[in-house]
Amino acid sequence: MAGIRAENIRKIFGTYEALKSVSLEVADREFTVLLGPSGCGKTTLLRIIAGLETQTSGEIRIGDRNVSGLPPRRRGIAMVFQNYAVFPHLTVFENVAFGLRMKRATADEIDRKVRRAAAMMHIEQLLERYPSQLSGGQRQRVAVARALAVEPEVLLMDEPLSNLDALLRMEMRAELKGLLQETRTTTIYVTHDQVEAMSLADRIAVMHGGRIVQYDRPIRVYQDPATAFCGGFIGSPPMNFIRTQPVEGGGYRIGGAAFPGPAAPAGEILFGIRPEDLIVEPESGPGLIDAEVGVVEPLGPHLLLTVRIDGQPARVTAAPDLDIRVGETIHLRPGPGRIRWFDPATDQAIREPA
Amino acid sequence: MPKERLLAYLLLAPSVLFLLVFFAWPFAEAFIVALQVRGEWSLGNFATMARDINFAPALRNTMLLILVIVPLQVMLALSMAMLLTRIRRQRDLVLYIWTIPLGISDLAAGIVWLALLSEQGYINTVLDALGLIEGPTLWLSYERPVALFVAVVAAELWRATAIVLVILVAGVQLIPREYGEAAEVFGAGAWQRFRRITLPLLKPSLQSALILRTILALEVFAVVVAISGRDLTVLMGEAYFWQNDYRDAGVASAYAVLILGISIACTLFFLRALRVREETEMR
Repeated sequence: MAGIRAENIRKIFGTYEALKSVSLEVADREFTVLLGPSGCGKTTLLRIIAGLETQTSGEIRIGDRNVSGLPPRRRGIAMVFQNYAVFPHLTVFENVAFGLRMKRATADEIDRKVRRAAAMMHIEQLLERYPSQLSGGQRQRVAVARALAVEPEVLLMDEPLSNLDALLRMEMRAELKGLLQETRTTTIYVTHDQVEAMSLADRIAVMHGGRIVQYDRPIRVYQDPATAFCGGFIGSPPMNFIRTQPVEGGGYRIGGAAFPGPAAPAGEILFGIRPEDLIVEPESGPGLIDAEVGVVEPLGPHLLLTVRIDGQPARVTAAPDLDIRVGETIHLRPGPGRIRWFDPATDQAIREPA
Repeated sequence: MPKERLLAYLLLAPSVLFLLVFFAWPFAEAFIVALQVRGEWSLGNFATMARDINFAPALRNTMLLILVIVPLQVMLALSMAMLLTRIRRQRDLVLYIWTIPLGISDLAAGIVWLALLSEQGYINTVLDALGLIEGPTLWLSYERPVALFVAVVAAELWRATAIVLVILVAGVQLIPREYGEAAEVFGAGAWQRFRRITLPLLKPSLQSALILRTILALEVFAVVVAISGRDLTVLMGEAYFWQNDYRDAGVASAYAVLILGISIACTLFFLRALRVREETEMR
């Protein structure tokens, strides 16, 4: 077991700077998710940690070793690839055994470890089959078993569930979580799916434009996004942002309600709140935001309302049995302590002075 | 018959007709000619062929050439294909240069090597200038069968390795990069990646290349004639000499049928030896 440190990693492809001095520390036995939209550099960072890509500058340490210049096979890692990369010409058994054979393990050891990894992934009955005889989900299990069989210090996973259909993805997600809590292998997991990230991670590193913009526990990333981008990328529907100016005498007016807040850096500020933190009240009153209802979507567990606040779009989730009509004005109470403020110029969160 | 099927047959008809007239018929004709002596069915032509003084050396030389040239070409082409995967810049340029000999006719290729190896040729000039030989030496003569053989092998390697290379490069490009990366992550060095991943996944391309090259090598002719005249006899050459010098189409056809027989045998061998089980195909 070992922790991982990436220090000031830069990666330049031709004239494009994919990673802009990224540093990341993953503790021993920690599960870190690299989350971000495509092109944010998350896969590049993972491949550099794996040694499949060479950083332009910076250092990778695994455990107490500097592995920056080492080929992948000397880094003590295992990896699960997005397209599984299960070898088509080998049986499931041989696929899972591949890493052990390369380490020249004894036949006994190979047999024992392959069977154990296969049992963990519930593919014992498939060991004699070839990958083309398996479904996508089964191939993914083989890919994970192959990685677990070598008992790596560090497990790297590159969007391992993205090729599975929605239901299977949810099933595998829960199974992976249970499994990795048991093995406690240090893991870096790349995904663009925020639900996966929230579900699996001990800590989420949100990446955007070749940088890590926030690295924290999932609930902190969700509730206290470091930038407006984080608030918008995580959560479905995403966080609402209302652009506004300070009123005379300090504070802000949002949908007719007055709120105290931090100073606006350049005369403007973004008022941020999550859809579920806006509570629909039956009567107008002080501190309630007026919003005009544009669309009502009854989704079952809740109503999804698309509203306009001060002419700006926002989303609200409301109780499913509320009688809300298009065109009416509703009154919204922000949940206590749930309002966030952001600088529209820099995207950064502005903390209220305590 | 449904309209679409009728259309399909109509569209196929020209090529079927072409094949029948220019391929199947001459093919049948060759068999008939080979199996008839003065209008009677007989194996006489094959007997004449087998008794001929040049038959045994021609068969032996052709087989030896295949046994030496084909494996050498596959090994060379494999190394070149693997080299190409490592080249990042100007890869296409290197590939183009390597495939230039493909555009040269085999007779022209033979003449190029004749020019290099003749008494007054470039190689003698260089060797002489270096003091390695005394005066012009005659390499390409019936007294030096090994030199003749080596010259033909060299010319064929130069001329026809590229066709194997092109097939293998296409095959290598079909293998997803992730397989190599996965092998690397799980501990395989360069040689093991080649042996355990690339080579097995390249089997279909290797099979095509081997079949094509073996058939072409069985038909080796122009290069041999250009370099050795008839001093190094080969099967195809004998077919030619019986047809054109001895005016005996029967024996010439017997040679053609023999070459066809060996081609089919080799093809079946490679199909079986390198068969890819359906369940292990890349999908």
